[in-house]
Amino acid sequence: MIRYLLSRLGSALLVMVLASIGIFALIRLVPGDPVSVLAGPDATPESRAAIRAELGLDRPFWSQYLHWLGDLARLDLGPSYKLGGDVGDLIADGALNTVVLTLFALVLASAGAVLTSTVAVVWDKRWLNSLLSALNTAAVAVPTFATALVLVLVFAVRFPVLPAGGTPPGGFFSHPDIAFQYLLLPGLALALPAWAALTRFLTEALRTQLQQPYVTTARALGIPRRRIVLTQALRNALPSSVTVLGIQFGTLLGGAILVEAVFAWPGLGRLIEQGISARDYPVVQVLLLLSVVVFVLTQLASDLVHAWLDPRVRLNGVS
Amino acid sequence: MLDLHSTEEVLTIEHLAISFTHPRPAVEDVSVSLRRGEILALVGESGSGKSMTARAVLGLLPPGARATGSIRYDGEEILGLPEADLNRIRGARIAMVFQEPQTALNPVRTIGWQLREALRAHGTTSRKAATERAVELLRAVEIPEPERRLASYPHQLSGGQKQRVVLALALANQPDVLLADEPTTALDVTVQAEILRLLDRIRERTGTAIVLITHNMGVVAEIADRVVVLQAGNVVEEGETRALFAQPREPYTRTLLASVLRLPELDSVVEPTAAPAAAPAAQELPAVEFRGVHVRYGSSRRGRAFPAITDVSLAVASCEVVGLVGESGSGKTTLGRLAAGLVPLAEGQVLLRGEDVLAAPRAERRHLRRGLAFVHQDPEASLDPRYAVGASIREPLDIHRVGTPAERDARVAELLEAVQLPASYAERRPRELSGGQRQRIALARALALEPALLVADEPTSALDVSVQARVLELFRDLQERLGFACLFISHDLAVVHQVADRVAVLRAGQLVESGPVGRVFAQPEADYTRRLLDAVPVPDPARRGGRRVRELAS
Repeated sequence: MIRYLLSRLGSALLVMVLASIGIFALIRLVPGDPVSVLAGPDATPESRAAIRAELGLDRPFWSQYLHWLGDLARLDLGPSYKLGGDVGDLIADGALNTVVLTLFALVLASAGAVLTSTVAVVWDKRWLNSLLSALNTAAVAVPTFATALVLVLVFAVRFPVLPAGGTPPGGFFSHPDIAFQYLLLPGLALALPAWAALTRFLTEALRTQLQQPYVTTARALGIPRRRIVLTQALRNALPSSVTVLGIQFGTLLGGAILVEAVFAWPGLGRLIEQGISARDYPVVQVLLLLSVVVFVLTQLASDLVHAWLDPRVRLNGVS
Repeated sequence: MLDLHSTEEVLTIEHLAISFTHPRPAVEDVSVSLRRGEILALVGESGSGKSMTARAVLGLLPPGARATGSIRYDGEEILGLPEADLNRIRGARIAMVFQEPQTALNPVRTIGWQLREALRAHGTTSRKAATERAVELLRAVEIPEPERRLASYPHQLSGGQKQRVVLALALANQPDVLLADEPTTALDVTVQAEILRLLDRIRERTGTAIVLITHNMGVVAEIADRVVVLQAGNVVEEGETRALFAQPREPYTRTLLASVLRLPELDSVVEPTAAPAAAPAAQELPAVEFRGVHVRYGSSRRGRAFPAITDVSLAVASCEVVGLVGESGSGKTTLGRLAAGLVPLAEGQVLLRGEDVLAAPRAERRHLRRGLAFVHQDPEASLDPRYAVGASIREPLDIHRVGTPAERDARVAELLEAVQLPASYAERRPRELSGGQRQRIALARALALEPALLVADEPTSALDVSVQARVLELFRDLQERLGFACLFISHDLAVVHQVADRVAVLRAGQLVESGPVGRVFAQPEADYTRRLLDAVPVPDPARRGGRRVRELAS
């Protein structure tokens, strides 16, 4: 297991380095220029050049990049250009909000997917399957910002039962019941596509498992089908679903930017959105790199969970 | 105690018919009755409906199948019972064992969990009681250290042990009837012999009646009391085992018995072998020669390498068929793959027509390998399902750019004719052909480039006996006509006896003995070869007693 982990760490590191180069280059290719944003429309060429030199933007690309890497290595994220304050402080402020929201969505999506797919397989009714499949397609097809707006309109405006946005005033931990109400709408909007994709995958995996000879063995022993689904097929279908869940985590990270914007959720997603509008390179670079790091680590974790769930991998495959 | 010859019927099947929506009915009219405590063999070739009949008893037919007629257990109608009622019978009254122990167990649950689950389904709710009973069951199926085995996962057991666990599951709730669907087909002969003996002992100890579904007449002769012969969904003949083997009434039964390959009697006098039709000229180089080869799997760097082949030296002369026999894990397939350069060689030399393949330059290697072809066990898996079979046969000709496209097409027709298939079959897809026809296609493809050496890995194991007999005949005929050398890999000693000139016996990667097939099978030098031959069930019920006596004496 340790050796497996080490071998995976190498490739994870490579992905992060390549991603950092890509991010650094891409943000500079975005039309617009932080200098114009900072200096304003009436600035003289001299003052623009001064600002450019001060930000280090006049140096060659690789020099800027290596400089940035050096700062990162020293955990010195530097000041932001426009948003105000230190990049590290900005991230620290938003991180908790985003982590809580994404984890909530992740739990909602995975628990929901296990529930809907087992229900679909256990009560193998034609109308139920058609209904679930229609809902599924809708959940994947409708963009996150649209579902988010609809949720706000229905549950906060038309029937004002839940808050339309913002974070719980007393923090997440003093009143969990209130925090839950604030989390429900953005969490649901964020979770829906992942929930649907996972449900589809898990339902298919369960049906494949039910064709396996060991299920016939179990049925020939008089074990009821429902019990076989819950105690045997599900257990076999889960490992591969964990890998899919890891990939869906990327969807959640991307969705967080939109959902946070709609719900005025002061998290990292909103920070990215503001950073991009202001061409605030240091903020955007670090946040994008951070999401790559989180994504890569999630992949790693999901592979480890997969290995742990499957005794054939866990016990190294030898008898 | 138990009356083994009770005439009371425990399971009665009458006029069972099973149909699917479109093709012909899987079962047309089958009536079978099973008496308490007897072993009844249901024999027939694939498609005869023997498995479907058994599945119908437990209501385990594939979706879309419709069964009519009557199935009575203990006088009570059970065909068409609702699922909940069937679940009270399944496992508790009538249990079933399937062919493939590798997949019959849940891979992510322990043996103990699966046994407890089987017990729980029929009322044993206390975990302690279930665990105790599980240990008892594993002991009954003769698994060593049953307490320790409870915590094992299926992948940690051997094939034979898995089949024992499957049996333990089936016996967990003391059923009156055990339906065993080809329970030993996937196992080695020595393991098969053990499982058959175990089945017999279980019947004697518990009085469980057993329906043994098999295509192997040797297995039938070995333990069945009565035989029912099925063909294309109908009962052709039934009778006491001895009587049926001695005097089969129906022509189909006679064909079935006639296509069973027999081994010579052990310790019989070796007939002086007639000089082989094509005596290999002494000066001609062998088609393939292994010189002290070693193959290791796994990384040798970490010292965990598993020796698959240890110091094997063997030569196959041109025009000679050498049979490679051994149990699973003996390295016979590895040796075949080594000849084709499909596994890395750790030590030693592989010479193709006197040339060291690995020492040869890359371009030369390709040329050397052109003289070599492969036929795999499962023609369904080795032919591309999306290619017309003609395209599959043509592919090697295309790759090596042999002749003009028109000449290649002519060659395909010629090859199809050689394997006795009409040229029009070139347009068909593999799924439109039967298993035997597919294996003929695989053979035609292998022969396309006129190889000097053919490596055939269990080419007939997936086929029915009568089909197997015809394919082997064709093979022998082609071999004599075209004069290629062949490394014929098989676990079936009788098949090797039929086609090979010489035989090499492998065990755990080592060469145990080799020699002319007649001599090795009649008077084996190695003790292991003798045990292997002894484990092969003899398709003659009259000799059953003799074998048992020999066993007791040893």
